[in-house]
Amino acid sequence: MTKPKITFDGQTFEFEPGDTIMRAAERAAIDQGIPRFCYHPGLPVAGTCRMCTVEVEKAPKLMTACSTPASDGMVIHTQSERVRKSRAGVMEFLLLNHPLDCPVCDQAGECSLQDYNYEYGPSTSRFQEDKRVWVEASTKKLSDRLTLNMNRCIHCERCVRFTEDVTKTHELLMENRGWKKELMTADDLGVFNEYQGNIADICPVGAITFNDFRFKKRVWFLKPKPSLCDGCARGCSIFADEEKNVVQRYRARRNDQVNGHWICDAGRVSYHTYSDPQRVVQPLLRGLAQSAPQATTWETLITWLLREMNQAKRVLLLIGTDASSEEAANLMQILPSLTRGELVIRSWNGTGEGVQSSGDDAPVDKILRRRDQTPNTRGIEQLGLHPLAARDGDFDVALFFRSGRATLPAQKLAAFEIAWGVFNQSESARFAAVLPGLSTLEKAGSYTNCEGLVQTFEAAVKSHGHAASVKKILDGMRTMMKAHPETAEREVARDFV
Amino acid sequence: MTLFDIIALLLKLVFVLAVVLNAVPVVIWFERRGSAWMQGRVGPNRVGPFGLLQPVADVIKFIFKEDFVPKEASKFYYHVAPMIAAVAPFAAFAAIPFGSFLAIGGQQVPLQIASLDIGILSVLAFAGLEVYPIMLAGWASNNKYSMFGALRGSSQMVSYEIALGLSLVSMLLIYGTLNLTEMVVYQDQLMFGFMPRWGIFLNPIAFLIFLIAIFAETNRLPFDLPEGDAELVAGYHTEYGATKFAMFFFAEYVAMIMASSLLITLFFGGYALFPGLETVIAGIAGALQLSPEWTQNIRAAFQVAGFIFKVGCMMFFYVWVRWTFPRFRFDQLMNLGWKILFPLALVNLLFVALVIAWMGG
Amino acid sequence: MTIIVSRKETFWDKIYLPALAIGLKVTIKQFYRTLFRGESTTIQYPEQKRIYSQRFRGEHFISVDANKTENCTSCYLCQTVCPAECITIIAEERPAEENPYGVRKEKRPARFDIDALRCCFCGFCEEACPKDAIKLSRNYEMAKLTREDTIYDLDHLKREVKGRG
Repeated sequence: MTKPKITFDGQTFEFEPGDTIMRAAERAAIDQGIPRFCYHPGLPVAGTCRMCTVEVEKAPKLMTACSTPASDGMVIHTQSERVRKSRAGVMEFLLLNHPLDCPVCDQAGECSLQDYNYEYGPSTSRFQEDKRVWVEASTKKLSDRLTLNMNRCIHCERCVRFTEDVTKTHELLMENRGWKKELMTADDLGVFNEYQGNIADICPVGAITFNDFRFKKRVWFLKPKPSLCDGCARGCSIFADEEKNVVQRYRARRNDQVNGHWICDAGRVSYHTYSDPQRVVQPLLRGLAQSAPQATTWETLITWLLREMNQAKRVLLLIGTDASSEEAANLMQILPSLTRGELVIRSWNGTGEGVQSSGDDAPVDKILRRRDQTPNTRGIEQLGLHPLAARDGDFDVALFFRSGRATLPAQKLAAFEIAWGVFNQSESARFAAVLPGLSTLEKAGSYTNCEGLVQTFEAAVKSHGHAASVKKILDGMRTMMKAHPETAEREVARDFV
Repeated sequence: MTLFDIIALLLKLVFVLAVVLNAVPVVIWFERRGSAWMQGRVGPNRVGPFGLLQPVADVIKFIFKEDFVPKEASKFYYHVAPMIAAVAPFAAFAAIPFGSFLAIGGQQVPLQIASLDIGILSVLAFAGLEVYPIMLAGWASNNKYSMFGALRGSSQMVSYEIALGLSLVSMLLIYGTLNLTEMVVYQDQLMFGFMPRWGIFLNPIAFLIFLIAIFAETNRLPFDLPEGDAELVAGYHTEYGATKFAMFFFAEYVAMIMASSLLITLFFGGYALFPGLETVIAGIAGALQLSPEWTQNIRAAFQVAGFIFKVGCMMFFYVWVRWTFPRFRFDQLMNLGWKILFPLALVNLLFVALVIAWMGG
Repeated sequence: MTIIVSRKETFWDKIYLPALAIGLKVTIKQFYRTLFRGESTTIQYPEQKRIYSQRFRGEHFISVDANKTENCTSCYLCQTVCPAECITIIAEERPAEENPYGVRKEKRPARFDIDALRCCFCGFCEEACPKDAIKLSRNYEMAKLTREDTIYDLDHLKREVKGRG
């Protein structure tokens, strides 16, 4: 059976039966030619903004692309004179009361209103009267994460529909009508869902802004780098927006297999772990009579580590379930050749009590969040690693490898505990040494998410300080062993610890 | 020698010293401000009215600076050089007449410290001493730049003294005397009824040679090669500071005044009055019913003033030239001295001698 | 290749004296002009000042309103346009009590640093500024004793500048 066809500006495309004109345009990848405010592919259609009107041949009036079903043989003009005139009219109405505060507004640079006005709108206004100004609602905290500036609102109601249809929490609603139409929270409870960042994302103007990013950077400085959120076992696709190798925010990246258009708030702010100034980015080693490890060089640290690992009878390697599959495989493959004693390799899930394996994982809500707070539990399990069991004990040296997500086990596992990966200063006190490693943002690799989907990612930013990849550290250790085999032979002088 | 003579001599000494010593700061001030004006600048104007006290400030600074002696310097000559430099040009002043005479109580007091028959030779002898401080300073400093400066200075002064001497000889032939006062008296007459019979009109080529030669003798630009700031730091006085540098600096200006006085005496009639002034003096004397004695004293005052005026003009010329012309290269300097001025002076001397012989001397 | 063509020197060239006279004339003319007509090329700088063009671009300042509140809303446009990358801004929310104008000044610079040693005084920041906040005054006396002083902070930039200084 042949698929129905639709013609956009002289080009004919196929579409699925049941599509609206906008969906058909999306399939044909020409949807950017149709401007929209209220339409969002992740939300139900409202058809209120009238910006997406297109000219359909044989139809007497302009039709909204977002709500008109496409039919076979339709001929659509998206850029005709009539359409552009209509859009200019819509823009002029929207701009009647929209303040000219783009310099202050965080949305500037990624604002639909700016972009469409530049393309379709009138360059001057005929409006002579005073603009409507909301004094109370000019900087209103919708919650501790969202700020509303009602003056900038264009009443597209994307936010309202988001709380109605995505989170189903119904916090937001529009009160009054016409000139006085105002966005309110129901019963003044504020917004309380865990996906509030998305509201700021989908707001086409700067009316709702996310406090974590508010006033922090102008978006034109940022370079979006596709990456993965490592905040839970879901593994949402994100854009890590960075400037000069510093990530400034996460945004959801559309991935219909995993997260659709959304990410949760906890994941959205999880980049702070990696840009934390307290993060250890220098090799640390604890000397005699020192309470905390002090900065040292990689050479000293690796020499010391090799010696310790060769003198020890039982060595434990604990791989956090936030390690990428490649890192874990690398460690399992190479570390045994660098140890003389018995090397026990275990995984450890850092979520805390109750979650030990992927079997303990479950959805927290009906949208995205999972109980398992580490990104690669399934991937580590596929490598054949077993979680640390209570009967394991009596180790001389314990190596903790993690990528910044997993929280540390409380009990002491060995006389010498060595940290490897992303740690911060306050955590480093209990360790004899810290080998700074790379975070998800700084390395390439793959995670297997809760549904068993293997997702690879590339480095979004360069590593901080002296942090090095697992492969580089292991290569360094092997080279050192080859060049100075006596390193392992030497009696441990106990210079350190 | 009577008591009157001794007192008169002492007073004259004081007068000459006072005038010359006070003229030096004024000339230095003018050197600075005049140069500024010639270059379209404002110049030093902070110390005193019009910056007139600037030289005083400089002197104070020089006195209070550390009296530094280089470790390897030859101490005795190092110290003696600036003293010679300061004293020699003063000594040369002794024979230069700056007025005719004062009539006091029936006695005539010549306005000249030492009335010598061989005045010109005495002046030349003391002026010739000027080469020693340069040599001593350069040599004693034990500094290569000072040494170069001294070598240049001595060869330059010796070379130009020949041209200077030859041009002088031609003038001596004209005047027929070595006594400077007699030279002035010779020039204090009119030629063709309106022109003063000054040496410059009688023998302009000798004047030109003499003028160029005294620029070289006093180490003034465009002949300041012994100093040669561009290549020799400060030349022969590189290693000198504080008061000793001040003495060199001071000596340079005294030498200029002395050389100007000699040039005025030889070529511009010395203290001889400008034509027409005699009538003015007679008028004043007639109006005030003055005795011939007092008339002579007034005349002497005019003569001294005229002499100072002429020297002042010459000092202006010095400054003017300095801020107009660039420095000569050393080979050019020697070329000019030996290949041009020396033969020119010889030919001029021959010519003058022939003319005088033809006119029956 | 250079071709050197020697100029034939005439007799008058060779004897130098006319050339010397011309030189003396030049200096005495300047002497007369400076001394008697006051046409000095230099000026008495700290007391006298040269009059610069109205469009001269000198030391930066940020204009303030009647309440001494800076007009800057830290939109970062100057930082964006700056070719020398000498402007560093950190924005923050303006407290409501310091914001009597309602919505218009909700954002303010927490820090606004201009590294004057990097600045090339192109004036692009002034042109980019939508609030006429950053401006270049006509003050050209910007010597400072330390490098720290050459990084203008907000307090320095908000100083009072009459007209354009």
